Amino acid sequence: MKWTGEDVAIYERERDYIDTALLPLLPVAFGQGTRRLASGGELVQLIAAEVERQLRGRVFLLPPFVYFADEPRAQLVERLSDWTSRLEREGMRQVFYVTCDRAWQEEGEASRVWLIPAVPLESMEESYKHELVREQAAELLRFLVGRWAQR
Amino acid sequence: MSDNKHRVTRRQFLNYTLTGVGGFMAAGMLMPMLRFAFDPILKDEAGTEMVAVADVKEITTEPKRFDFKVKVKDAWYESEEPKSAWVYKTDKGEIIALSPICKHLGCTVDWNTDKEHPNQFFCPCHYGRYEKDGTNVPGTPPQAPLDRYEYKVKDGKLYLGKAKPRGEA
Ligand code: FES
Repeated sequence: MKWTGEDVAIYERERDYIDTALLPLLPVAFGQGTRRLASGGELVQLIAAEVERQLRGRVFLLPPFVYFADEPRAQLVERLSDWTSRLEREGMRQVFYVTCDRAWQEEGEASRVWLIPAVPLESMEESYKHELVREQAAELLRFLVGRWAQR
Repeated sequence: MSDNKHRVTRRQFLNYTLTGVGGFMAAGMLMPMLRFAFDPILKDEAGTEMVAVADVKEITTEPKRFDFKVKVKDAWYESEEPKSAWVYKTDKGEIIALSPICKHLGCTVDWNTDKEHPNQFFCPCHYGRYEKDGTNVPGTPPQAPLDRYEYKVKDGKLYLGKAKPRGEA
């Protein structure tokens, strides 16, 4: 499901079934590294959208968790863990993050993190871009399905 | 980039018109744009547009997945929506093209991926299952069979139209 009026109406009816939150973590910066972050963020959102399309009956794709790349890490970690526990309190049995920001892999919640490589999309041919999104989405999908099977 | 610019200006334009007195009229003009357009296109007698998806030669008795794109126009901009179909031939040679959208809550089903229940369509979300012909397996979450695409064969190509609930297709 997506964060739209229509999907949220379904979510309210079917909360027991839609038990997995997928949260994109999107760093923003201006100046140094802008392009790489923007490209990475673009790819993250394309992949997340494709996974939502294929698993929408169980996965709730949330609007992204956005932050400046140079925000103090400790505060970010705290804010994210607050989001996460709220989502869990609201009934999400599993919460996963999808991001191109490697730093999250070093935090305590690394097992929730699905990392997407930052690829310069702007110089990529359309057909190759589709292929990349398809492949990366398939991998994320397998990861989620695998996690469900473990429960 | 030019595309983006175009979007913004059009959106601004719509914002102005839709919030103004002419809003009603503008909305009326835009409604007919909310439709599907296919490429490459075939039109049947009723004027329904269909898209070429596969060569008939590629279709066997084993369901195969074919991906295609459908152009969607909405009031803001035009986009392409990915779609797929599970297609096979029955022993009698009849073509069946099933929508992969699970009738429970809309996940995408896969063919023959659940080892305990071979030769069925399987939904990874809540383990819904369907027989090869799309009939939902009782006791699993889905309450209806998979939709079937309307189809046509022309010059050795399979064209698909709208997916419809069984009984209507
Ligand atoms: S969405 Fe397919 S079983 Fe629930």
